[in-house]
Amino acid sequence: MKPADLQKMSLLAKLALCAWALAGLIAQANAWGFSYGDQTANNQVCLSCHGKTGEVPKGTYIDPQRFTQTAHANLGCEACHATVPANHPDGNKVPKADCRECHSGISEEYARGLHASKTSCNGCHNPHLVQNPKDVSGQEINMICSNCHNSLEMTAKHGEWLPQSELHLRMLPCITCHTGARDYYISMYIVKSKGDSRFGKREVAEYDELKTMAGGRPIVSLIDTNRDNYVSLEELRVFNRTQTSLHLYGMMTPATVSHKFEILDSRRNCSFCHTSGSGPMQTSFIAVPEADGTFLRVPVEKGAVLDALYAAPDFYMMGSTKNAKLNQIGLAIICCGLIMPVGHGFVRFLTRKNRKQKEHQS
Amino acid sequence: MSEKTRIYLQPWPIRIWHWINASGIIILILSGAQIRFPETLSIFSSYKSAIEVHNTAGIIVAISFSFWFFYYKMVKNTLDKLYIPDEEDIKHGLVRQLLYYCFWYFLGRPSPYHATPDHKFNPMQKSAYLAVMFVLMPLVGLTGILLLNVTPLRVLVLMWGGIKVIVALHFLLACSLLAFLCTHVYLATLGDYIKPMLIGWEDVEEHEEVEPAPEVVIPGYRPVRHYPEYERALLEQRHS
Repeated sequence: MKPADLQKMSLLAKLALCAWALAGLIAQANAWGFSYGDQTANNQVCLSCHGKTGEVPKGTYIDPQRFTQTAHANLGCEACHATVPANHPDGNKVPKADCRECHSGISEEYARGLHASKTSCNGCHNPHLVQNPKDVSGQEINMICSNCHNSLEMTAKHGEWLPQSELHLRMLPCITCHTGARDYYISMYIVKSKGDSRFGKREVAEYDELKTMAGGRPIVSLIDTNRDNYVSLEELRVFNRTQTSLHLYGMMTPATVSHKFEILDSRRNCSFCHTSGSGPMQTSFIAVPEADGTFLRVPVEKGAVLDALYAAPDFYMMGSTKNAKLNQIGLAIICCGLIMPVGHGFVRFLTRKNRKQKEHQS
Repeated sequence: MSEKTRIYLQPWPIRIWHWINASGIIILILSGAQIRFPETLSIFSSYKSAIEVHNTAGIIVAISFSFWFFYYKMVKNTLDKLYIPDEEDIKHGLVRQLLYYCFWYFLGRPSPYHATPDHKFNPMQKSAYLAVMFVLMPLVGLTGILLLNVTPLRVLVLMWGGIKVIVALHFLLACSLLAFLCTHVYLATLGDYIKPMLIGWEDVEEHEEVEPAPEVVIPGYRPVRHYPEYERALLEQRHS
């Protein structure tokens, strides 16, 4: 063999060795799910251990069903935990991603806000569960806040200036008043009396209960009777009239959430909400629970929300949900009271001479 | 011959109660109107101040109502006699008073009823006050208390048919009270009603000589108890 041939062969052998080593590395990486591609399959590799409660420490357990619904699941585990060692689990903690890498705008805004010195992103958002505000009920949003802000203390603190503070705090997500948002919508959700008692505390109706009530059909058909994925005012009224054990509650929710958590003085002006035809209350959705723990959002006829909510026996918003017919009846009653002063007063004026004559005679 | 004498018609506790009640109800009507129609009315500086004023005035009027009941029922023990129309009032007094307001007053005839401390109200007043003080005021007060405590009294609120039923009732009762207020104030200008409510005393003409019973000039006229004519008719009956 010529030395030149040997050199070529040696180069080819080196290249083949490199290719084999690279293929081996890729195969190894794929086995852990650390490469880009079909993320669901890759995530399953991690979830095969971390999705089982008994197999991993409590803190590292990830609810597979709920994780699949998050935007983070689409990126894949390795997007945040990039440098997991090949010998994992080796007792060492895996590195975590910095949220700022993707959410730099929100991070900067958050850094300027009131919460920055109190906690990091993880304090409120579990990255394995996190969902868009539109996909969760207002009560769930408030549960995040109540991890730090004791609800009794908050009720008392708000009660210093806010009438019916307990009622307000129960009916509104905290972020409605504590985040600056341009647009709001009403998120309606189905509630059910606890223990089916007429006076029972209203709780968000569970998927299984509603599924049974729907009788095999999709839950949304309880409200959206013609199944056109749009709830008209008439459909809401029919629901309110016919469903005796189910009721609709509404929560005003910001369309886009800021992260400064400021105390917005404009919210101390009650007429922001308590005015007839209040602007922030024109757009609404009904959140129908889904099997995977999320909510299906069905749009509702514009401006219908207050009228529809008025039909719920446990819901009333002063100044906003007043009934026009009652106003007319009230006006008629007041007019009856004016018959005497106006009618009698007029005849009294016309006949004033009669009384003067009698006085004069006496 | 006749001369003016003064009778003590309205004792001071009642006068204080009346004016607290009157100003309280007017404030409640104004603030209540702003609470219901915030987009058109701005009587008080803000919606919140309207609510605070309404709540405070409501509590004051509720306390003053309780005081009124306590005073007449327990202290003076004249609540039933003053406010519940008796048989005579229902049979004749009401019609007679109505006829007076609708016809005789315009013809310049004197009122058929003269107030005394024990019988302060004419049959129409009695009936109206019975409805106002025993039905309207307690109901508007109770619905108001429920609305003031929606969360703690939630079960009671639901027993009444839910918050919107209570709000509707509260609103319509308030409209009825306003209607009554218009009539009440107007009728007060028909006789000497305002002065006794301010100073307590009323000037009445007292006849020194017993005059013969006046001729019955109105067809269908029958003397009614608590009226001077009734006393005279009784006397005549005994003498005959």
